[in-house]
Amino acid sequence: MKHRQYKNPVGVGKYTGLLLISPFIAGFILFTLYPFVCSFVLGMTDYRSAGTPKFIGLDNYKTMLSSESFRKALSVTLKYAAILVPLKLIVSLLTALLLNLEIKGIGFFRTAFYIPSILGANLAVVIMWQYLFTADGLVNQFLELFGASPVSWYGDPDASIYIIIMHRLWEFGSTMVIFLAALRDIPRELYDAAKVDGCGYIRSFFSITLPQIKKVIFINLILQTISALQEFNAPYMITGGGPLRSTYTVGMLIYDEMFKYSEAGYANAVSWILFAVIAIAVGLMYLVTGRRERNGS
Amino acid sequence: MKKIISLFTAICCMAVFTACQKKSDHSPTKPDGKLDKCTLRFSWWGDDERHRATLEAIELWNTIHPEIEIVPEYGGWDGWTEKVTSQMSGGTEPDIMQINYDWLATLSPDGTGFYDLNDLGKQLDLSGFDNEVLSFGKVNNKLNAVTVSVTGRGLFYNADVYESLDTEFPRTWDELIELGDTFSIKGFYPLDLDIQSGGTAWYLAIVYVQQTTGRDFISMDGKLGFTADDIRMALDFYKKMEDHSVIRTIKTRTDEDGNAALYQSPEFISGNVAGVLEWGSSVGKYEAVLPEGSLRTGPFLTTQDGKSSGWMIKPSMLYTISKNTEHPDEAAAFMDFLLNNSECARILGTSRGIPASRYAFESLEQNGLLTGLAYESDSMLDGLDTVTISPYMELPRMKEFYNTAIEQVSYNLCDTKTAADEMYSSITDYLERMK
Repeated sequence: MKHRQYKNPVGVGKYTGLLLISPFIAGFILFTLYPFVCSFVLGMTDYRSAGTPKFIGLDNYKTMLSSESFRKALSVTLKYAAILVPLKLIVSLLTALLLNLEIKGIGFFRTAFYIPSILGANLAVVIMWQYLFTADGLVNQFLELFGASPVSWYGDPDASIYIIIMHRLWEFGSTMVIFLAALRDIPRELYDAAKVDGCGYIRSFFSITLPQIKKVIFINLILQTISALQEFNAPYMITGGGPLRSTYTVGMLIYDEMFKYSEAGYANAVSWILFAVIAIAVGLMYLVTGRRERNGS
Repeated sequence: MKKIISLFTAICCMAVFTACQKKSDHSPTKPDGKLDKCTLRFSWWGDDERHRATLEAIELWNTIHPEIEIVPEYGGWDGWTEKVTSQMSGGTEPDIMQINYDWLATLSPDGTGFYDLNDLGKQLDLSGFDNEVLSFGKVNNKLNAVTVSVTGRGLFYNADVYESLDTEFPRTWDELIELGDTFSIKGFYPLDLDIQSGGTAWYLAIVYVQQTTGRDFISMDGKLGFTADDIRMALDFYKKMEDHSVIRTIKTRTDEDGNAALYQSPEFISGNVAGVLEWGSSVGKYEAVLPEGSLRTGPFLTTQDGKSSGWMIKPSMLYTISKNTEHPDEAAAFMDFLLNNSECARILGTSRGIPASRYAFESLEQNGLLTGLAYESDSMLDGLDTVTISPYMELPRMKEFYNTAIEQVSYNLCDTKTAADEMYSSITDYLERMK
């Protein structure tokens, strides 16, 4: 058998590795690190679109602390994330458990459940949401069938956040797919052995399934928390942040300050606070999980 | 590695500050009075009718000046301000732009944000414009933009609904309030106002106060003319309209329409909401969703003891040239074509309102194109002693102040005095900061 000789076109030298990853490094420096540093510097300037940036130190951060608008946006964002993330994880996991069953036509169901997550908050979805949640919408008609009084989904500041949450909840496909992949990796023998030992479905779920996928749960928790804290699209498209700013997230505040009010300096400062909030939230999650791991639970 | 990152961070910081410094050093390309071969970008926002007409006008330009290619950039109003602001910040804006009136205050507060059109007299003929109309585009004695058309908000009603209820269009504020009571019995509203980007709710309220007090809301140089009591009067009037079902409450409107614009609202399309306050130059989108001939122009509301007409006008839009253009002569020639060329005016029609240029106006007149709601409304405004809107009045941040106060009053979160006091201090602080 003839062995073909392959020649290394670049040669294996001290810097070959660096050379091979240099496209990524260049892209990272240009499109991530440079804007990142710029954003921090601009956050300490008074920079309106028509003028040149003026260095003002931490003034933007001081303004933020006294800004009712910022406080409201931050509290809306935290509330939104606190409700959405656990709900989405539970719904995704339960659906993944169902879609893990070996039944006929399961491929169709897996595709069908994934489709909403590729739609995003586009115009068609916004119109659909209006048909669902306006005063005479389908949801209220459905509620009335059971004698329940209609809900003022769009107009009530206490209810409006839930139509955004329901929109994101409906798009659980990506989270569900990650769970499904993890569930399919659990060895069947564990369940078979548990069954022989007299374990029911619920006991198997808590004693086998959850421990086996806990790392995936953690990954999904981190990803969903970051995504929820950065929320912009859904409230911007569906409610415009209203009523009474009850769905006005920090993401929307940054966008408005930057593009609507042309306050680039302030917008960048708010971005850094959002970055800090996300970093703290994720850091806390790692801390708690790490402690639990060390305690062996 | 740490050293490399630190070094890079320092370089980035220096680059940011240097780039910022350079921005102010850039000086515009001087005109040479010749038309050379080049490609120009022209941007505008609008509806489909405006897009179709403008593209046809560009085709005509291409037959006259094939050496100067025009690349069109167009879209709807939503997000357009943000797009242009980003382009201006990055110095990547098109050569010729259709701009909104208030952008002069934000994008060129000292007159250096756009090209000074006074330098382009060789290509740009301004003899067809009144001095007052030209003054709308001046900042610090620099002619930054030329007014395309002058417009004002007018009242337009669904005549089919009014006829079915055997009522006439209101002429006075009192008649409007009475109509609310009459219409509500049958489940209709005689009018509706949005508080979103257009801010029509506050607009109508200040027309009422300007008529009553004779004071202008904000002066052209950005001074607040209203007192806190005047603002309170405007909010009281707004609340009165809601209480008498002249307009829907914000909660009702949001519940019924979600985040949709009024012309997309099933309530407006079905006729349950039978009137709208809108710019004459933009009323076409409301007309298009109703049966032909249903939407008609109503009289401008007055009060018996009024001290002024209170109704306002402004340039509906302006054309400007980027200060970064490398082809100022060619851009000016194209702008002149859009503003004054009679054949171009015939193609564009009233898609940008009634032209401010005398030459374009005469062309439309000769071709019998001066018809429709925009023309009717603007003609009626011509007969009034109108006030020119201050560019500061329509700044996005100002609209935020109006909307916040109106929302709080509509949702009964505070009384009108508290909302008025807050709004007064917010506006005063902001206007002070803008100077």
